[in-house]
This record gives sequence, structure tokens and C-alpha cells, in this order.
Amino acid sequence: MRFTLLGLLLGFLGIVSALSATGSSLLVIIEEEADKSKYSQFWADLQGRGYEITYRSPKDTNLSLFLHGEPAYSHLLLLPPKSKGLGPNLTPNLLVDFINGGSNILLALSAEQAVPTAINSLLLELDINLPSDRTSLVVDHLAYDLTSSAEKHDVLLIPSAEPKKGVVDFFSVDGLVAFPRAVGQVLGNASPMLSSIVKAGASAYIYNPKEETEGVEDPFATGSQINIVSAFQARNSARFTVLGSSEALQDTWFDAKVRLPGTDYKAGKTSNKEFAQRLSEWAFKEIGVLRVEQVQHSLDEDTKDINPKIYRVKNDVRYSIEISEWDVDQWIPFNPPTGDAVQLEFSMLSPFHRLSLNSSPSTTNKDATAFSTTFRTPDQHGIFNFYVEYRRPFFTAIEDKQTVTVRHFAHDEFPRSYEISAAWPWISGIWVTIGGWLAFVAIWLYSKPTRDNKPASAKK
Amino acid sequence: MASATKPQSTASGVFFEGETARNTRGLLRIIILCTIAATAVASRLFSVIRFESIIHEFDPWFNFRATKYLVQNGFYDFWDWFDDRTWHPLGRVTGGTLYPGLMVTSGAIWHALRAISLPVDIRNICVLLAPGFSGLTAFASYLLTSELSDSPSAGLLAAIFMGIAPGYISRSVAGSYDNEAIAIFLLVFTFYLWIKAVKEGSVMWGAFAALFYGYMVSAWGGYVFITNLLPLHAFVLICMGRFSPRLYVSYTTWYALGTLASMQIPFVGFLPIRSSEHMSALGVFGLLQLVGFTDYIRQQLPSKQFQLLLRTLVLVIFVVAFGLLVLLTVSGTIAPWTGRFYSLWDTGYAKIHIPIIASVSEHQPTAWPAFFFDLNMLIWLFPAGVYMCFRSLKDEQVFVVIYAVLASYFAGVMVRLMLTLTPVVCIAAAMALSQILDTFLVAGEPAEPIEAPSTKTNDAKDKTVPGIPEVLRSTKGPLVGIYSYMSKAMITGAVTCYLLLFVMHCTWVTSNAYSSPSVVLASRLPDGSQHIIDDYREAYYWLRQNTKPDAKVMSWWDYGYQIGGMADRPTLVDNNTWNNTHIATVGKAMSSREEVSYPIMRQHEVDYVLVVFGGLLGYSGDDINKFLWMIRIAEGIWPDEVKERDFFTSRGEYRVDDEAPPAMKNSLMYKMSYYNFDKLFPAGQAQDRVRGSRLPAQGPELSTVEEAFTSENWIVRIYKVKDLDNLGRSHQDAGAFEKGNKKKKAGKRKGARVLRVD
Repeated sequence: MRFTLLGLLLGFLGIVSALSATGSSLLVIIEEEADKSKYSQFWADLQGRGYEITYRSPKDTNLSLFLHGEPAYSHLLLLPPKSKGLGPNLTPNLLVDFINGGSNILLALSAEQAVPTAINSLLLELDINLPSDRTSLVVDHLAYDLTSSAEKHDVLLIPSAEPKKGVVDFFSVDGLVAFPRAVGQVLGNASPMLSSIVKAGASAYIYNPKEETEGVEDPFATGSQINIVSAFQARNSARFTVLGSSEALQDTWFDAKVRLPGTDYKAGKTSNKEFAQRLSEWAFKEIGVLRVEQVQHSLDEDTKDINPKIYRVKNDVRYSIEISEWDVDQWIPFNPPTGDAVQLEFSMLSPFHRLSLNSSPSTTNKDATAFSTTFRTPDQHGIFNFYVEYRRPFFTAIEDKQTVTVRHFAHDEFPRSYEISAAWPWISGIWVTIGGWLAFVAIWLYSKPTRDNKPASAKK
Repeated sequence: MASATKPQSTASGVFFEGETARNTRGLLRIIILCTIAATAVASRLFSVIRFESIIHEFDPWFNFRATKYLVQNGFYDFWDWFDDRTWHPLGRVTGGTLYPGLMVTSGAIWHALRAISLPVDIRNICVLLAPGFSGLTAFASYLLTSELSDSPSAGLLAAIFMGIAPGYISRSVAGSYDNEAIAIFLLVFTFYLWIKAVKEGSVMWGAFAALFYGYMVSAWGGYVFITNLLPLHAFVLICMGRFSPRLYVSYTTWYALGTLASMQIPFVGFLPIRSSEHMSALGVFGLLQLVGFTDYIRQQLPSKQFQLLLRTLVLVIFVVAFGLLVLLTVSGTIAPWTGRFYSLWDTGYAKIHIPIIASVSEHQPTAWPAFFFDLNMLIWLFPAGVYMCFRSLKDEQVFVVIYAVLASYFAGVMVRLMLTLTPVVCIAAAMALSQILDTFLVAGEPAEPIEAPSTKTNDAKDKTVPGIPEVLRSTKGPLVGIYSYMSKAMITGAVTCYLLLFVMHCTWVTSNAYSSPSVVLASRLPDGSQHIIDDYREAYYWLRQNTKPDAKVMSWWDYGYQIGGMADRPTLVDNNTWNNTHIATVGKAMSSREEVSYPIMRQHEVDYVLVVFGGLLGYSGDDINKFLWMIRIAEGIWPDEVKERDFFTSRGEYRVDDEAPPAMKNSLMYKMSYYNFDKLFPAGQAQDRVRGSRLPAQGPELSTVEEAFTSENWIVRIYKVKDLDNLGRSHQDAGAFEKGNKKKKAGKRKGARVLRVD
């Protein structure tokens, strides 16, 4: 349902030649007009990709995220406000409703200003924890920029992480990305909706420059537990991205020269521009959006009757699902990352089958991959679901449920008794009994004593 | 008909002679029987006239739905019907787990009417099937009683008793489309055929008995009553030394053909040779062969050797058969006795072991007043009638005695089995009353007053002297007191009064107690006019019109059939209580906290939850009053998670007010029942009219379900189960956030920090 809507939307968007799969209207919350120019390269990049950018101040009284109860913008970029709060138009509840409405948020934080409590409580709902003292930042004494923060060590230089097996790699860039004065996030360990995009190095820790001693004694978080950039995808696949350092998007860092301490690294250009592009692509759903095209199931031997409502126990069933992926400006066949597979559950209360689906090149058309499998329905009647749930980091969720009934054997679907060799003794027993009885009756009648010795009456 | 008139014609042959008279009486008899049948039908139509042509109660809704399926899809589809709209997500092999007799009967009538160009709505056939068959039952009891009694009036009396006795009407008013509707007719008719077979020793009558027994098996689970009663009759006859070729022929015919016929019903299948309930029939079948064999041997052997042979043979066979039975039962080849069967002998058994059986009101022991309520004067004529059977103890009278004893016991154990008692009570009472009338009603022949005592003395003395006026005139003197017109008139008048009272009682009971559809509730307004409370249908139609066709509705099993029938939505459990665990799952969801219930509801794909709440109206049959059964049934499966004790206060009281225990207040059922109920009243004055208690000032709050619909009088409340939270929080947290309560910050926790591993 969601995906068909999405497809419809896409039809309209094709005209405006936007690149996002969900829409091109982008609201940027920036407090001071003056600061706007700091991000000019980033805006130019976004506009070049087809976004219609609206700039608003959080203090603007006309600012509203909703129009007629629906989100008025497809995407929202929140830059850190100078003032303490975000105002009445951007309360956490409204932002949550905005996400529930299917829109995406890219939230940029900065340790320059104290993080507003509204942001803090919003992030808590997503199970993202910020340091309790709101001016803490991340420092790393081994991976800082010698050029700009030789004293404070608060400009982190982080290379892209090694791609993990089974996880798609959307964010790798060559070289180092600078994150000046970043607010570190700690992700809750329960929520599967959270994933980390950029982690701090092993030697990083969270430090509050205003309270010198205490922070060092018991840091809020250390090492790779600190996330500089993290991502959250809601159940409706709305994306919420937290960028710890808003400065990383500024022009100054897009082509700054940086140098790592130590001898190995020479001074080089940061990859911030490329990273900002990758990050906004993902955050505004230009990549990693999946769509179910067509779902088909049928009996294996009778592929003409597509998607019947009812099967029988012990039927051989063929199932196939077509999935495509939105890649910047077009739908392409989706292929799961290596080491991963799309799986099908055939379930009633609990799965009776959980099968990895195979894709074959022959069934792949130009914009979707067909994943398919065959299996035998279990020897259990009931109401079953063909259930494909594919939730992976950085991909939008796929959840497809096709409900079918699996019935018992009908009375005429069992093998006939004479086909079962074990039944032969019984069948012959029946016929012997019948034959014997008939013979007995015949003999009995034949040997009936004639009463009056009259042959006529005996015959009668 | 012809055979039925035979005994009567000999008994009163003194008064009417010649072929014409007999024909006249036969015609009269037919007219009377037709009138009785019409009366039987008419007295069952109260509900249709008062309310409308609607299916009643619970089980009939399933039968109605099944009938519609049969009519729409044909017999073979019905036979193989896998119902995916009940017992979600298990489904039910409905075609193989029901008694199809009722539906097939209605379907056949429907097709027959169409064949003669009378297209009648299947609903009307279903509504009127029970009254129609009650007319046939009256006829069948006439036939049966005529076989048992020589009196000309006994059969007709039995017919009218059967026609209007409330004990039978309770299950056969118009709209009460249940198995019993046709099963009682089949029961009585099968007995008639059996008596006929035993009397005549004829294979034909035995085969007919088997045929109707097969029909009975296809119609009602109560066929086991016949399965055990007929063998018992045969057994008692053998024990009385009344073995005869007649008995042998009729029983073996009935057993062989009847068992084969019963095995054709998929639901019964191989039960007749495997289950303990059917073993007596098999045992008596074997016994009859043995007795027949010994009978044959006795004719061949001298008596002394025969005695010895007989003794050893009886002993050996008894020991072997009994040992075999025990062995097969222990090894499991013969199914052990079912719980329902045990509860027939020990009324406390079900309460302890099988709450699901005990929770059904019609499985409770009968209260004494119910006998009088359902049978009125018949109940005191009944012993007299049984006594009459002892006076001329022929084979068929033995049957009535056995039937009377067994049915009386069972009716005392289970309210529902009053139904099987009613026919024998009607028959016995008719025999007793007809005896009285025969003795006294000859006053109805004023033209021949002298002849009157003649029949009386004939009966009292010996039947070998049919009417010798001279002798009788001489004995007229001493008997003058009893045979005066005065006493005749008095007795006749008294009996007439009793009969009139009986008719009035029956009509009153039928009209007031048994004609309510229970889908629609009727109440009286202060000015005496009738007010219809139609909350059930209001709610069911809301479901039908406002929810997806495959929206699953969870409710307690009582309402399953109605939801399936009226709302046409899949249900989790229904009145066909075949899966105790599934019912216990629903009980657990209802009696647990929301956090426990929600995953259960998600797993079962529940979209809506329906509860019945009578607190506003004072409707006592609501879910809070049934709640203890849900808890008990759930406790039977999850004794660690649901505990009945937790739902009582420390003093052992069942309360819903301020002092209700936490388990009660936090249960989903309690919350759903009383949600927003306090808003109807001024603050702190919410009053539950069923429990008569004041509710807590603060009403319960719901987080995982939201109110979707509440009917006019709050009897039915429907809640929608929320989807998972979009941000992956628990519903409680999400609700708190909506209200503006800030989440506590994780802060500094004690102990080792749990690190996230990506």
C-alpha cells in the first residue's frame, strides 16, 4: 500500500525531475539569515539535485510543519538554533507527528550551542542519548586536526569505516571527514531501528570543556560507543538522521586542508563535501528505498492460477516477489548485499518454513529482481501467511503479507482403497463375506425342502 | 395409521361396530392429530410474532451460517468445508466436525420447495424448521404411545402433551434452529420403530429403526442416548428371561445397519467401534449371539449337561470380554471416557477438571422447580404412568420403564437433558391420564348408561369375559357409588380443569420464558409498553459495515457464532469449543495486563476486541460476570501466569470497586469494560448496576487498544487493537509522550554499562 502510494508520488515527481523517492520540498530551519551563507556550497548542491528549499527561522510564527493535517514538506533539515529552544512550532510531539506522517528529518547538532531540551527529549524517544551536560563535545587526542585544533583536539578526523558483511555501504568516502566540535550520541542497545553511520575512533571520549575535572573522571561515553552520525528509520521508513557536527556541512570544511598527528598522514583535503552529499542523499531518500513490485504465488504444477486464496496441505507451492530499489533517479533491480538474503516465512502463529529466496538473472527485468522459491505446504491446515519482512540498516523496510488458507484433504483426495496394497486383505475379506453370504442364500433356497412334494410350489 | 387404530377398535368394539364406524373414527383421529400438530406449531410462533423472524441465541447462528453455505455451495463443498473464518488462525474442518443432519434437512426442504416453484428464503426455512418438526414429534409420540397402550385416548393425549410441553418447546420455538429441533422427533420416532421391531420381530422394522437411527446420528450428539438405551432394553429383556427370536432379529438388524449408518457421518467415523460410550451396544450384540447360540444348544442337549456348559461358558466369556475391554481401554485402542461423560455421573467433576464444560449454563444440574416449570402436571402423572407399565409388563413396557429411569437421572444431572426426559414423561402421563379417562369418561355415552360399568369391570376383573350384561347387572348394586353420574362428572371436570391449567401453564411458560430470541432483549417501560434493547445487532452491524471483511475479532467464545453469523467477521474462538488451548489463550489475553495481552493479540492478528458489558443497564450476563471462567480456563493451561486467587480480595471477595485487587484492575477485560464509564456519571459516583458497587473515582486507562464503538446501552463495546508504535516504543511510553510527560533520562546507571554492538 505504502509502496503504491510512493510510486504514485513518484509519477508526479518525475516531472519536477527531483531525485528523492518521496518528494522534493525541503524545509531548512536556520535561525539567522547571516548563517545561511556559511552553507552555500551545500545549498547549491541540494538545489542542483532538484530540491525546493524553504528557509525558515524557528521563531517564525507562520512556520508550520503541517498543511491540512498532512506534512507540508517531504524533508526537514534542522540546524542548531542559537536560542535555547525551538519554539512552539517545532515541539517534540510535532516532530514525531512529522515522522509518523512519513517525512524525513536531518538533525544537525553543534557543541557550540547548548542542545535544546526539546531536541534532547525527542532523541530520547528514539532511544538516542546525548551527554547529560548539554555542552559536551567529542575529543580525540589521537585523531584530531593539527591545523585547526592543535590545542583543543576537538576537530575529529575520521576515515570511513570498513564495510561490514551483509550491510550495504552507502557512506564510504575516500580520505578523511572532519567533524569539528561534534556532539556525541550514544545509541540504545535495544532498538533495531537505529544504526550508526559514523563512529568516533577508539581513543575518543566525551568531554565538557566547561567542567574540567569531572568529565575526565567519568566520561559519558568513550571510544566507538560514541556516534558522530547516526540514523533512525521508523516503522513507516521515515528517516531521521542525526549529524553531530553541523559545522561539517559548512563551506569552510568542504575543502579545508587538514593534518593528522603522527607522521603517516600528510596534510590533505577533507572529503566533507562528498560525505555531505552521500549523507543528504540517504537522509532524503534518494538511495536505499525499496519497493515491492509484484507478488505471485501458485501451485508449482499449475502456474496459471495466480494467487489463489486456498491451498491444500502438502501442496507444492511456488512463491515469487519482485523488489526494486530507488537509486538516485531510477528504479533498479534490487540485490541484497553479499552475505544477506531476502527470506520468506510461511507462518501460522509461528513460521513453519523460513526460506531464503533465490534470485536468478533470467527472471530479473530491467527495474526489479524476482526472488522466488518453491516449497511444500506443511501437514497442518489453517490460515497461513506468505510473509516477507526485510528490515535492514539503511534500507527502507519491506513487509509483505499474503494470507492464504491451507485446507485439509477433501474426502475424494485420498488414494482409493484398491490403490493401497495393505488394504487388499480387507477388501478381499468384504467380497468373500458378500460372496459367501450370497452362496449361502442360494444353497439355502435351493435346498429348501419341498412341502407337499409339488414341484410347482418349490419352483415358486 | 391403520395399525394404530387396531387396538383401539378391539377395546371399544362394544360401542362401535362395522367398517363405517371405524373409518369415521380414523378420520376423526387424523383430524385431531392435524389439529394437535397445528397447535404445536402455533404455540411456537410467539417469538416470530413478538419480535421478528430471526435466528435465536448462539448455536443456531452457526447452524444457519452452515446451512447458507450448504445451499450456496452444494453438498460436496459442504462436506469438505474448511472454515477459515473461525478459530483464526487455526481454522476449523467444519464439514467433518459437525452433525450435518439439520443443515441437510433444511437444504433438502429448500431445494424441494424450489423444485415446485416456491422459492423461500433459507432463513425462513431455518426459523420455522423446529416448529414444523414439533408437529411431527407430536405425531411420532402418538404412534409410540399407541404401541404401548391399548387405550384409544393415550396416543392422542401423548401427542398433545408432546406438542405443548414446555420442556420440549424450550428448544424448539421458531428461530431456535438447533440440532435438537429435529433430533427429538428422530428420537421418538426411532423408539417407535424399535418397539415395533421388537414387537413384530421383523427385519423391516429393525431396518427402519436403523435408518432413522442413522438420521439421528447425523443430527445430534445425543444419539448416544439411543445407542445405550436400546442395548440396555435388550439386555434387561435377556436378564428377565425374555430372549426371543423377535428380539434377536430386531436387535441384530438394528445394530448392524445402524452402526454402519452412523459410521457414514464424518464426525462420528470410527467412534462406534472405538469409543467406550458405544461399547455397550457392541457388548449386547455379542451377548445376543451367545444367548441365541445357547438357546440353540439347549434344544439339542439334555438339560443337565446344558446347565454345566452354560455356567462355564457364561463365566469364561464374561471374564474374557471384560478383560479385553479393560486391556483395550488401557492400551488406548478404545477411546477413554470423555469429560462430558464423567460429568454425567459426578456433577462436581467438570467444575474441578474441565472448566470449559462447567462454564456452560446448560451443563449445570437441574434445579427442582425446573421440573415443574417445564412439565407442570405431567411430572406427577409420570410416576403413575410408569406404574401402569409395571402392571402389564410386556417387552415394550419394559422399554418405557428403563427409558423413564435413565432419562430422569440424566435430566437431574444436566439441564439440557430435560429434553430427553420430556418424551417419556409425556407418554407415561398420557398412559396414566387415559387410564383415568377410560375408567370414567364412559359417562360421555348417555345413551347406554348401563354399558358403562361393563367395561370398567372388564378392565378391573378379567378381559376374558367381554360384556355379559346379565352378570354385570347383578354386580351393579355394590358399585353404584363410583359409577354415578356425579362422580363421573366430578372426575371428568377435575381432569378437564387440570388439562386446561396445563394448557394455560404451557402457553404462559412458552410466551414468557422461551420465546425471547436473546439476540434482542425486551424490557418494559414504566408505562407498560415494550422496549427493545437491540445492542447486539447494533454492534454486529457496526462491525459488518465499518471494518475490513477479514478483520479478526477477539471476544469470549460465547459470541463467536453470533459474530460469524451476524457480523460476518473471522473470530478467534466460538461456541464450538473444540480447542481448549485456543480458548485459554483468549482467556489469558483478557485476564492479563496489557503488556502481556498485546503480544498475544498481535500474534493472533487481532484487529478488534469485543466485550459485553452490562453495568450501565444491569444486564447480568456480561463478561465481567463470566470473567472467572476465563481466568479458570486460562489457569488450566498457564497456571504460573494466570492465577484465580489473584482476582479475589484478601477476604475472598470478587469485587470491581476500589478494593478490587490489582490483577483485576489491570486486566484487559476490566479496563475495557469500565473504560470511560466514569465519565457518564458525576465525579466519583460511577455505579455498576450489575455488581451494585461504586467504581473507583479514577477510571482505567488503555494504551494498546482504543475504543472504536460502544453500543447505545453500552452492552457491547468494541476496541481496536493499535498497530505497533512507529518509533518502536512501547504503547505506554508513546502514550506518556503524547501527554507531554518527559521520558526519564538514562543518566548514570549503576553497574556496568550495556554497550551497543553493531
